[in-house]
Amino acid sequence: MRNPLIKHYILLIVLSLFLGSSSFAQKAKKNKVRLKANYVKVMNSEVYFDLQATAKVNGENITIPNVELVIYNVVDDEQIELGKATTNMGGKSRFTLKDLKSIKPDSTNTYNIEISFEGNENFSRTSKSISFKNASIEATFVKIDSINYISATLINKLTDSVVIGQSLTLQVQRLFKPLLLKEFNETDENGSILVPIPDGIPGVDGNITIEVVLNDSAEFGTVKAIVNAPVGIPIVDESTFDERTMWSPRSKTPFFLLILPNLLTLGIWGFIIYLINNLFKINKS
Amino acid sequence: MKKTDSLLLDLAPQKFGRIGIIWTWTLIIISLIGIVAYIDQVIKGQVVTNMNDYALWGIYISNFVFFVATSFVGTVTVAILRLTNNSWRTPIVRIAEIISVAAIIMAGITIMIDMGRPDRLLNLFIHGRLQSPIIWDVIIIPIYIVISLLLLYFPLLPDFALLKLFFEKKNPKLSKWYGKLSLNWTGSLAQKTIQAKSIQLIAVLIIPVGFMLQTIDAWLFSTLFRVGWDSTNMGAYFISGASVAGVGALVTVVYVLQKVYKLEDYITDYHFDKLGKFLVLMCLIYLYFNLNEYLIPQLTSKKEATTHINVLLTGQFAPLFWFVIIGGLIVPVIVLLFKQGRKPLPMFIIGLLVVLGSWWKRYLIVTPTLLHPFLPIQGVPESWHHYFPSLHEWLITAATLAMALLIITALVRYLPIIPIQRTADEQEELELNKNTAK
Repeated sequence: MRNPLIKHYILLIVLSLFLGSSSFAQKAKKNKVRLKANYVKVMNSEVYFDLQATAKVNGENITIPNVELVIYNVVDDEQIELGKATTNMGGKSRFTLKDLKSIKPDSTNTYNIEISFEGNENFSRTSKSISFKNASIEATFVKIDSINYISATLINKLTDSVVIGQSLTLQVQRLFKPLLLKEFNETDENGSILVPIPDGIPGVDGNITIEVVLNDSAEFGTVKAIVNAPVGIPIVDESTFDERTMWSPRSKTPFFLLILPNLLTLGIWGFIIYLINNLFKINKS
Repeated sequence: MKKTDSLLLDLAPQKFGRIGIIWTWTLIIISLIGIVAYIDQVIKGQVVTNMNDYALWGIYISNFVFFVATSFVGTVTVAILRLTNNSWRTPIVRIAEIISVAAIIMAGITIMIDMGRPDRLLNLFIHGRLQSPIIWDVIIIPIYIVISLLLLYFPLLPDFALLKLFFEKKNPKLSKWYGKLSLNWTGSLAQKTIQAKSIQLIAVLIIPVGFMLQTIDAWLFSTLFRVGWDSTNMGAYFISGASVAGVGALVTVVYVLQKVYKLEDYITDYHFDKLGKFLVLMCLIYLYFNLNEYLIPQLTSKKEATTHINVLLTGQFAPLFWFVIIGGLIVPVIVLLFKQGRKPLPMFIIGLLVVLGSWWKRYLIVTPTLLHPFLPIQGVPESWHHYFPSLHEWLITAATLAMALLIITALVRYLPIIPIQRTADEQEELELNKNTAK
């Protein structure tokens, strides 16, 4: 009876050693995910967090796709789950809030957000916290002595006071990337900037959409105000969308292509019918 | 001089001998094997072919273009020779019409074989865009089939009436069929007038339709921005190539039928001589267009075009390319320039060479271009860099060729391959002229 028991014990020890080492090996393989989070507030519009997950694997920085991130609003000791976001193939994700009222600040009127990754078989658990205060940019388009300007004021909403010495960027909205007009416009003692708009910028119907941006500020995050200025050169829209072209859908076939081939086809079929009729005539005569 | 009765004895359709029966069954078996392969293709999908994301048109489209080209023989020999009053055409026109019908029917079937979902064929008519040359092809092919059938049928009417009488006692059932097909032909003046007018109209009509068919076929390629296809030369290039393929096929079939049916009295060396000269002319025109097609891109030296042409001239496809150019065009021209080269047997060999060259020429038009896209082929299996047809593709293609020959065989079995009434009329006219001269 002893011998089989000893055998069982040995087997158990070997198995536990094997399983232990393999689970250790699995743990050792896990890489650490680095999370990046940017808070962006668009004036009179949405608030969003641009998230990115990366990791250093075999000495190389790679983006991590398809990881689920949980976004929490931390209010003093309480964690309120705001939602989840999954990274795309570029390891990026955007989590959007309707406005800033959707989250609560702490007792110091600072907003605290935690982005958490629960970990998976390849990557270990990690989280990232960001804090920011509420600021706003009031921007308008003004014309002084026939020169077009953008006037903007940066306001700390907590104290309801202007923010002095912060650098604002002026850029024009474009399809892929904004067109930079002027960087490093420091706010003066009134918390304002006045920047002339260069001439000759093309825009649809002459409208150019200018963004005044407080970029990635440690205190306020990114705040963006959008101003429409009707001072651009109108873009002549050369799109053939909805026109009758060779590359249009069936319903938008060019008229000449409807008329000519159909006329030819009908004409030829007319002759064919005439010829078939001749066969009947031969049969009868 | 032969009277109508003796003409009928010589030219009326005859039962096949042993070789004819073996030939027919061989074609039927090849066709059946191809049908089985096609059913398997429909069940499993085009995964059974070696076509891929790059070589998306393979042997089926090459074969389709070959059939379309061969069908041009009806336009060339019947219509053009008729309108230019070349009387030597008489004993060969019906053979040309038969080849034309067989080729265009098989062209229509072959293009359907290339469809991944043939059950959606009707969608081409329902949702097709008139901007697409594919739809023009869908429109023109049925038209050409109908006109080719009419071109074959109208001149047959008097012959059907003669055959009805000829087979009345020998084979009453067959005679009945010929009677129905003759549409009560009595040879009255009214019937003759309508028939002559109709044939004249078809002869005129088939020329633009034939040219349209070949041009549309060319535009299927030239409207695509691809190296080797994007050429304004393409329409004329296809028309001249089709003339070569068509006349080559005609020469081959004429020789076989002359030997099998012992028609040496009707299809003489004179006809082969004329056909030989005609084929030389077609080959020279096609060579000229080939020169345009390959020399100009080589001279302008656009990188992609040079790569493509180098692959043809010295690369992977060079053996095939030079076989097509030398074997399929230059050798025929040289041989046929000599009178001895235009004798029936050399003509038959040259005809076969031309047909073979024409078939591979279509393969060279389709495949190398597809394997040389503007963007490099990357991130795909190594096999996608090349294309060679799979067993399914070979079996199905062989079956389509066998079916075309089967259509020709069936028509040859039941139709007089040389117009009987017309031959009789011509002989009568000749005799009359001789008597008048005396």
